[in-house]
Amino acid sequence: MSYAYLFKYIIIGDTGVGKSCLLLQFTDKRFQPVHDLTIGVEFGARMITIDGKQIKLQIWDTAGQEAFRSITRSYYRGAAGALLVYDITRRETFNHLTTWLEDARQHSNSNMVIMLIGNKSDLDSRREVKKEEGEAFAREHGLVFMETSARTAANVEEAFINTAKEIYEKIQEGVFDINNEANGIKIGQQHSPTNPSLPGAGNQAGSASSGCC
Amino acid sequence: MEFLKSGFKTVLGATETGQQPSAAETVEKLVERVISSTLLDDRRDACRALKALSKKYRIEVGAQGMPALIQILKHDGQDSEVISYALDALCNITAAEEFDEEADNPAVSVNVGEQFTEMFIKVHDHVTLVMGYLEEYDFRVRRAAIKLITTLIANKTRDLQEIILVSPMGVSKLMDLLTDSREVIRNDALLLLIQLTKGNSNIQKIVAFENAFDKIFEIIQSEGCSEGGIVVEDCLILLLNLLKNNSSNQQFFKEGSFIQKLSPMFNITPETEEADWGPQKVSNIHCMLQVVRSLVTPSNQQQVISSCQKVMRKSKILDSLCSILMGSGVPPDILTETINTVAEIVRGDKENQDQFSKVMAPSYPPRPVIVVLLMSMINEKQMLELRCAVLYCFQCYLFRNEESHKAVVETLLPSSEAEGSSHSIGQLLCAGLFSTDSLANWFSAVSLMHGLVDSVPQKEELLRVLLATSGRSRPVTLLEQCTNLLQQDSYKQQSKVGLLMLLCMWLAHCPIAVKTFLSTNGTMAYLTAQISANEHDENEYLIQGLCAFLMGICIQFNDNSLPNQKRNDICQLIIKRIGQETFCNKLSEVSRHESYSRACKQPQIRTKSASDLLLDYEYCKLYKGLEALIAKLVSGFDVDGIELTELTLSSEASALVAQYKGIIRDLDGQINTLQQSSKKLETKNVELEHKLSQIQNLNTQLSDQNTLLKAQIGAVQKGTTTSGDEAAVNALNAAQFQTNLYYAENMRLTQELESLRKRLENEVQLSKTANDELQKLQKDQEDLLELLTDQETKIARYEEQLRTAGCLIENDDDSENNGDTKYNEVALNDNLVAAGLL
Repeated sequence: MSYAYLFKYIIIGDTGVGKSCLLLQFTDKRFQPVHDLTIGVEFGARMITIDGKQIKLQIWDTAGQEAFRSITRSYYRGAAGALLVYDITRRETFNHLTTWLEDARQHSNSNMVIMLIGNKSDLDSRREVKKEEGEAFAREHGLVFMETSARTAANVEEAFINTAKEIYEKIQEGVFDINNEANGIKIGQQHSPTNPSLPGAGNQAGSASSGCC
Repeated sequence: MEFLKSGFKTVLGATETGQQPSAAETVEKLVERVISSTLLDDRRDACRALKALSKKYRIEVGAQGMPALIQILKHDGQDSEVISYALDALCNITAAEEFDEEADNPAVSVNVGEQFTEMFIKVHDHVTLVMGYLEEYDFRVRRAAIKLITTLIANKTRDLQEIILVSPMGVSKLMDLLTDSREVIRNDALLLLIQLTKGNSNIQKIVAFENAFDKIFEIIQSEGCSEGGIVVEDCLILLLNLLKNNSSNQQFFKEGSFIQKLSPMFNITPETEEADWGPQKVSNIHCMLQVVRSLVTPSNQQQVISSCQKVMRKSKILDSLCSILMGSGVPPDILTETINTVAEIVRGDKENQDQFSKVMAPSYPPRPVIVVLLMSMINEKQMLELRCAVLYCFQCYLFRNEESHKAVVETLLPSSEAEGSSHSIGQLLCAGLFSTDSLANWFSAVSLMHGLVDSVPQKEELLRVLLATSGRSRPVTLLEQCTNLLQQDSYKQQSKVGLLMLLCMWLAHCPIAVKTFLSTNGTMAYLTAQISANEHDENEYLIQGLCAFLMGICIQFNDNSLPNQKRNDICQLIIKRIGQETFCNKLSEVSRHESYSRACKQPQIRTKSASDLLLDYEYCKLYKGLEALIAKLVSGFDVDGIELTELTLSSEASALVAQYKGIIRDLDGQINTLQQSSKKLETKNVELEHKLSQIQNLNTQLSDQNTLLKAQIGAVQKGTTTSGDEAAVNALNAAQFQTNLYYAENMRLTQELESLRKRLENEVQLSKTANDELQKLQKDQEDLLELLTDQETKIARYEEQLRTAGCLIENDDDSENNGDTKYNEVALNDNLVAAGLL
């Protein structure tokens, strides 16, 4: 159960675009066809591996309805990554992306990685938003883009993992202040290179072993 | 007081002696000064005075001064002193509790604080304004703001929760206060969060998202865990607020490995065991137990419960709790709550139940902890709460565990008696059942009943139980003894209720038990008498209802194998002796009793007085499932004995049966196809195995060869190595290099050879064609020669003829001719030579 890093994610987007389904597919590998309205927020978690390191993802799936918007806003600040989801079969969910993005940028820390996701890619016959449009939007706003299907599980893993990779790279580059937990990143016991609070003996042992490597 | 008076004087100016202004007048003046003064110092002084008056004259200050105080908050933000006065004053006027200073003021009603709160929060911006001062670092301001918000939330929880949820980053700002390095602020923030998180799952989730669990555990650890003071308790109360009935947070708590962090707090080491349990420690441990229970309580999501139960086993929480259970000097309420906690950790989890059953008490001789607990349950002198907790724990140990059911019944069977002591589970329960303490009767009957839930085999096994009776020669069965007890007047109502519930559970879904029960003397007569009795006592009604239910079970699960006690016979008895209406009426008495709704609420037994213990949760479940069925069955019978409805099954049940039939058919089909495919797979498997063995043979051959070759190489190497390994390696390398060279040379040569061979082939081809031509030419030559000889003979003949004809022919001619032919011959030969050269 130990991990090197812990990342907090949020999933945002209009109601009914499949946020909860994406989470369910990612954590439980199953699909629930009935739309069960999310009240407030729901929590899910899973372990992934990046670069040989165990990374725990804690994901808060938010309610898309307007009524819950003020609650959703409370989650931006503490998240390291956000999945901004729209439905490729409903144009209006794509049109609302700007509002969502403004909201997110306003309330989150500036380093939060945002992944744009066009969900329901299995319903190609009912498509209203072209893939190219999603790509263009993502390019324009500096987001990573992907089309997924929570039903067939296509690209679902990738969406979550690529976001984590992006965060991981930012950590390696030193962009994130990992000691500030308000950024949505936590270092696990497995991996604590700069832990000053270690007792003397433990610290020595630690430095000795690291010197040996 | 003198100081205050002098303060007023400076603010209000000297008053005329002997004429004290009324409180309202003073406040009015002060308020005016706050509003109209242009000097900050004046406003500050007035504010200070208002604050001082706000306790004793809170109605005056509140009614007149609130707008002024709000105005200060709005416009004087840069002066922390005046702000702190304003906040303090507001805090005083909205406070819920009554101050000592106002005790003699009759105008103060009980909820005056609440009314002022209502006034203040009417404009949501006021709350946001105060929230803004939380970010002010100044100690007085921040603390006063926290206090005011805490008071407001306490008075109008719902409204404040909504306002804070909507205000941007409201909850997050409040969470930030927990990291304040000043302990007073941090502790006040804890109290604020406790109020804020009450009963609002959205706020609870945001607080958890803001790393509340981490922060709480940090504080708990820094304050000394269970040995710590009231701050630890506050932390635990907040934790409890976040976890109770909030499955999302429960999951987050589990996923964040926080259960493991709870574990060390229950380690009550041997040194501290003797140490006194101070009241604060008792409260702390009590709260911790509550936190554990909030994760595994039966009303949670099943998935959360079972995953938490697993973690609690692995992180040794169950072990630690069991050792508290067996520890000495543990205060009774901690002990009770520990038993309840263990119960819920164990409930429905086979491995935990198993582990719990193996815990031994440190007694002599060592006994299983369950036995020790049951001994307290049937002990009249133990506290009621503790006895209830033990029953709950025992129920949880049995819950959905066929094996533990079996283990309980086995201790009653004759075979185990030889080895069994007088302190097996079964023995204790029987002792309780026949004791003179009606509570012990009830507890034992219900315990035994839980050993029979949903397990027909155990119901049948229990029929074999025999009890040795003193004096009489013939041992009686447990069932007989139960029915005997039921008919004894000395057996109390509560005990009878327990016994009847046990019998109902025992007989339900078990036709053999029904048959045995019906063939016991006097049972039907007793039940009939009870049901048709007309006693006016609530509990008497309940017993009649239970009897009706038992009789109903005797009809429902009757296999019609006893003459005169068939389904129809019993129904006729009801019709003639009791009446269908009365029967159904009595049957519904059970659900009408107040203890029914109490018992239905949760599996845990919660009661304040011993006499309230009547119905049980599992029994109510059984009753709920069967009551309608029985009522329908009984009212369906006619006087003539014709059944109006289908015998055993209600329409729901028959639909269910049809559904199951369908399922079974489907499953049959599936089994067939699966069997076929498995056969196919088997043959395939055999083939593959065959192939595999072949391949293995080949493999061994190859490996043999390999070893052989290796040996050869070794031999060769040995042969070549004369001066040490290195030399050998060098030589080998050289040799290899040479071989490589040779090999390359060889390759080149073979290529050359190949090209030469090709050329040779071409040559051969050519020579073949040349040969053919040669042969043709030779043939031509032969032909020509032949022609020549022909010609010669002809010429000779012509010569002859000419000679004979008498013509003189010169010899020259002849020789000339000869020379011609000779010339021809040479040319021909030249040609041949040319062909051969080609």
